[in-house]
Amino acid sequence: MDLIRTEGQRMTAAQPSETTVGNMVRRVLKVIREEYGRLHGRSEESDQQESLHKLLTSGGLSEDFRTPYPSLRANVIEAINEMLIELEGTTDNIAMQALEHIHSNEVIMTIGYSRTVEAFLKEAARKRKFQVIVAECAPFCQGHEMAVQLSKEGIETTVMSDAAIFAVMSRVNKVIIGTKTILANGALIAVSGTHTLALAAKHHSTPLIVCAPMFKLSPQFPNEEDSFHKFVSPQEVLPFTEGEILAKINVHCPVFDYVPPELITLFISNIGGNAPSYIYRLMSELYHPDDYEL
Amino acid sequence: MGTDDLIETFRAQLRDDPDVASAVAAIRALLGFLKQDRGETIQGLRNSLRDAIDTLSRVDSSVAVSSGGELFLRFISLTSLEYSDYSKCKEIMIERGEIFLTKVSLSRNKIAKLCHPFIRDGARILTHAYSRVVLRVLEAAVESKKRFSVYVTESQPDEAGQKMAKALRKLNIPVTVILDAAVGYIMEKVDLVLVGAEGVVESGGIINKIGTNQIAVCAKAQNKPFYVVAESFKFVRLFPLNQQDVPDRFKYKADTLKTGQNLTEEHPWIDYTSPSLITLLFTDLGVLTPSAVSDELIKLYL
Repeated sequence: MDLIRTEGQRMTAAQPSETTVGNMVRRVLKVIREEYGRLHGRSEESDQQESLHKLLTSGGLSEDFRTPYPSLRANVIEAINEMLIELEGTTDNIAMQALEHIHSNEVIMTIGYSRTVEAFLKEAARKRKFQVIVAECAPFCQGHEMAVQLSKEGIETTVMSDAAIFAVMSRVNKVIIGTKTILANGALIAVSGTHTLALAAKHHSTPLIVCAPMFKLSPQFPNEEDSFHKFVSPQEVLPFTEGEILAKINVHCPVFDYVPPELITLFISNIGGNAPSYIYRLMSELYHPDDYEL
Repeated sequence: MGTDDLIETFRAQLRDDPDVASAVAAIRALLGFLKQDRGETIQGLRNSLRDAIDTLSRVDSSVAVSSGGELFLRFISLTSLEYSDYSKCKEIMIERGEIFLTKVSLSRNKIAKLCHPFIRDGARILTHAYSRVVLRVLEAAVESKKRFSVYVTESQPDEAGQKMAKALRKLNIPVTVILDAAVGYIMEKVDLVLVGAEGVVESGGIINKIGTNQIAVCAKAQNKPFYVVAESFKFVRLFPLNQQDVPDRFKYKADTLKTGQNLTEEHPWIDYTSPSLITLLFTDLGVLTPSAVSDELIKLYL
């Protein structure tokens, strides 16, 4: 386990904004703990987590993992293969739930380009007729790519600029977005512009649905707002050709936005639909508390 | 062990170690009572323990003592289910009781470790009355070389805020004591609110010194995060829907209740803050959202 932990630390240090790497490492660690526990003879129900119950009934401090079991390695590899199969099927699982959430003649809004949302909408388009408005998500304008893909399936698509989000919101029935990461309190780290979209949706009481697979759920809390931001070259905002202006001003190009949990209505993941307040429970199923800090 | 001995042990605990939580002192006193109990059956033990807990609540009627007592009773019931032989059972109980007390003494440090990353450099914190857990958290933040300033409410009628301010000044933290009425005024200047709790109820709300509810409402109105720090033995099986639902025996001091006068004339000492106003709870079971609290309680009591 220590080996995996050190490797995990190296990988996350290399690219801190890619939280899925850390998530997968934590899941592997949990799998190892479970397999060990199973071989060690503990019952399935015994809780690995801290709880008041455990405080009162345990006969000693936490167990050590030193007893060697020859079949442990084989079991762990098998469990990891199962996990891989699950990962490959996540987008399909999410898309299968599309029909329950999208009804005919609805106007759906989305932002940027998310492959999960694309699959979700395409699946619904096979049986229902609806319109999609895509916010282009400047400065990278990935919304354009999304619109092209959707219109190939025959979905009536409109592209508009981010500034018009609030103006159009009154005509929208649902907002469906993807995200980069889901945090432990149910908040999102998503592309820049999503917070604006979420606030506009809240103002008009429009449901905000987030389609994201479970591996994006990260056990971190948003304690340092700035540490999540990834900035890229401001070339997109103000090109380097505008040299004289550049000398007098500061230009920033943040990639991600923080969206607080109160603005989100529903999370659709490969295991079904969940409310943001339930995220803590999903987290306890996927990860072990000792692994939250890699 | 007579009731007087019990009360004396409890009071001695609180005197000798002013830093100990009252629930822990209660549990320690009850453990001592258990060791000296001469009964022969579990039922007898449970009855005498219930009487002992009643005695203790007559001395100190706070929520914490009540939740500590409940937890101890639960502990006895759980252990007795596993072993049917009484003397063996008693041995195990005493052993586990000691382990429990060691674990619980580490809980404040665990909470401090979890909470201090949430305090940023340059933060302005608002806190309420005197809480030893909050003090520990701020101490940990100072140890990790963070600079911040604290506003403390005076917290009448016992001026607990002044006590807190004195303790903070010893740690070299810049402190300002403000009037309880000035919370709405100061809220725009603070970055986060950090309070302790006397009890955490099933809905995820908290019971704390009077004035906490006001602070929570102001914080919500101005979009400031409201953090609560509490050890897990403070979780109590109450589900108040409003302020009236909190039992009278918690609201007023034990001596006031004994005199039997008209309680409508008395000022309550605690109030209830609803879970919708709380952002996060930091406990030794981890960082919890208010909805996770009832899950924890269910795991224990059902």
